[in-house]
Amino acid sequence: MSILEINKLKKSFDGIEVLKDISLKVKEGEVVSIIGPSGSGKSTLLRCATLLEKMDEGSLLYCDEVAVKDVGGATIYAPKNELRHIKEYFGLVFQNYNLFPHLSVMKNICDAPISVQKRDKEEVKQEAERLLEKMGLEDKKEAYPFQLSGGQRQRVAIARALAMNPKMLFFDEPTSALDPELTQEVLKVLKDLAKDKMTMVIVTHEIEFARNISDRVIFMDGGVIIEEGTPSEVIENPSNERTKSFLTKMKV
Amino acid sequence: MKKKTIIFMLIMSLMAGMLVACGKSSDDVVNTEAGRTTLIVGFDAEFKPYGYKDENGEYVGFDLDLAEEVCERNGWNLVKQPIDWASKDMELNSNSIDCIWNGFTLNGRETDYTWTDAYVDNSQVVVVKSNSGIRELTDLADKNVIVQADSSALAALAGEDASEDNKALRSTFKELQQVGDYNSAFMNLEAGAADAICMDIGVAKYEIEARGNDFMMLPDTISSEEYGVGFKLGNTSLRDAVLETLYEMVEDGTYAQISDKWDLSDFACLGNEGTSTAKELDAMAATTKDESFLEKFADIAGQLLSGVGASLLIFILTLCFSLPLGLLICAGRRSKIKPVAWLVKFYISIMRGTPLMLQLLVVFFGPFYVFGWSLSTSYRFYAVIIGFTLNYAAYFAEIYRSGVEAVPVGQHEAAQVLGYTKIQTFWKVTFPQMVKHVMPPVTNEVITLVKDTSLAFVLAYTEMFTLAKQVAASQASIMPLFIAGLFYYIFNYVVAFIMERIEKKLAYYK
Ligand SMILES: Nc1ncnc2c1ncn2[C@@H]1O[C@H](COP(=O)(O)OP(=O)(O)OP(=O)(O)O)[C@@H](O)[C@H]1O
Ligand SMILES: [Mg+2]
Repeated sequence: MSILEINKLKKSFDGIEVLKDISLKVKEGEVVSIIGPSGSGKSTLLRCATLLEKMDEGSLLYCDEVAVKDVGGATIYAPKNELRHIKEYFGLVFQNYNLFPHLSVMKNICDAPISVQKRDKEEVKQEAERLLEKMGLEDKKEAYPFQLSGGQRQRVAIARALAMNPKMLFFDEPTSALDPELTQEVLKVLKDLAKDKMTMVIVTHEIEFARNISDRVIFMDGGVIIEEGTPSEVIENPSNERTKSFLTKMKV
Repeated sequence: MKKKTIIFMLIMSLMAGMLVACGKSSDDVVNTEAGRTTLIVGFDAEFKPYGYKDENGEYVGFDLDLAEEVCERNGWNLVKQPIDWASKDMELNSNSIDCIWNGFTLNGRETDYTWTDAYVDNSQVVVVKSNSGIRELTDLADKNVIVQADSSALAALAGEDASEDNKALRSTFKELQQVGDYNSAFMNLEAGAADAICMDIGVAKYEIEARGNDFMMLPDTISSEEYGVGFKLGNTSLRDAVLETLYEMVEDGTYAQISDKWDLSDFACLGNEGTSTAKELDAMAATTKDESFLEKFADIAGQLLSGVGASLLIFILTLCFSLPLGLLICAGRRSKIKPVAWLVKFYISIMRGTPLMLQLLVVFFGPFYVFGWSLSTSYRFYAVIIGFTLNYAAYFAEIYRSGVEAVPVGQHEAAQVLGYTKIQTFWKVTFPQMVKHVMPPVTNEVITLVKDTSLAFVLAYTEMFTLAKQVAASQASIMPLFIAGLFYYIFNYVVAFIMERIEKKLAYYK
């Protein structure tokens, strides 16, 4: 079963087509990396998939449940309550973390499971503590986001997304705002998640990392998927000229 | 530590200012009238028929005609200076006017000014609506009676020297309200917010004639009293010059002629047997002794204290209602339903674009003039709170809006992906961050509100500043105003302290 299924997605801003006919399926436990030059539409793809942006055309399904239906040149979104349920299937980690600055680390992680998913407080807290331990942040429970380094903030953001028990996680350039050392501590967390068979779609500029972690790599440019395959196919032996020149620029 | 020193110095200099302002010095009065070229007459521009603005926008009246004639005979240039009645003593003491000549009652004020002889004998009467059924003084039991602030009628009913009869009469009233001018007194009467007005007979006759037969005067008078021209205490040389000329005018008939012109012949009394004379009044002034500064301070502060409660009540209720209402208006302003957003935007622009004083008047008198509803007395207080709340809520709404917009979109997106509903997102994410953003501008607004409470006077709601102006007028001193200033300062100091504490509490995150 596919966790995520996108068919023939189209999206324009002010008449300019940013995504042109994108289709993508992600299976359970699969790690997919998306690479591509700036402005190619990677973030827009993730934002459409996470319902932050409205799709113009195409369909979107999570675990075979229809979130967005294509009706020939337009889209119909599922009713609110169904969407609320579908939203529990995925989480999103932002480039600039978007932690809630007025809440402690613990509250940042626990609030949504308690007030959105109505789960038991104690159970959620225990899970949050377990997650923080996994992230190496057990001593930062009561800290506020402004007291943390960028790498620590991003790990809290990952813990916050995981606390919702999603089936899959999206990452939009999770390390772009970080120094090289801090990048490594976040990438290590992602590797651990991959080992635990977490389904993930990662937009990244870290080509080396993408090669190591991914089951599949997607190269996007100009709103279309140019090339798609295993890391050795796309990164080591790209067939498309644009992929080649992009990778050369990224100095691989 | 440093802050405390500065505050101490501020308070000391304020006190020093008061001492200087309160000492009744008479040595700076110009003693020769030979070189005088102008006479500046201070008058309340709404006091018909003594001094007022006519349909052509000219200042006219009985007193001004007399003054004109006096000036002509002395070769002076007459300057007609309309003044706020409550600040008449400051005007006089600072020499910005030479005299108060405006149906100025000398009874009860004998020792506060240097007076001419009485030139008008006036009585206090009661004016009611013709159809009210009130026919004599006893019918005023349980009625709302209105007087002009610091007027002779007020003094006659509730002053220190009020007669026992009048005190007894006053105690039968449901309420004795004070308004700033006769026009609003009649507006109150017409609107049903008051049942009767106590006022000078000359003014009453004039107003009833001008307003048609809807109003009538009760046959019984409350008191009789005399008008004189008041000069700064000790300025006898100018007084003598004016008085001398007035007597010339009595001799040659000009005084009678002018009295006739204004239909005041029955009241004109200059030179009559048994009226007060300048000599008698000077003698009374010479025998008064001054209270000590501290006694006076304590006395005035005590009198103002009852107004502090009223100001505080306006302040607290306005905040309690306008802070949450501002949130609702902010939501309306940001509404996706366009007509709602436009309507709210229009409302905000009206609230911010017109004087609060005017808005208070509209809220109070609007129901009568628009719908013809008669106004109850208690509505006066509600109108103050409604007016303030509507105005401040508009300001708070705009502050909230900027605060909401200062919260990064990423915050909403994070909340959206986590599955928060719109309402949860607002209360859990936007609102707490907005509060932190808006603290400094809200503090400014709250401090302005402390001072704005004084605007309640336009609806004759007696808060501290209104009281201070009344006490200042009755004591012919500006000390009450300085003490009121001190109260406002302390009030605001406490407000600033509390707001600072809240801001510190919110500083736990960045
Ligand atoms: N809200 C928007 N309104 C208008 N244009 C937009 C909007 N969001 C994105 N775009 C445009 O869509 C195109 C794709 O943007 P997108 O952010 O998806 O690129 P990206 O591949 O994520 O780039 P980067 O690697 O720089 O993050 C760009 O040309 C961008 O200017
Ligand atoms: Mg991007």
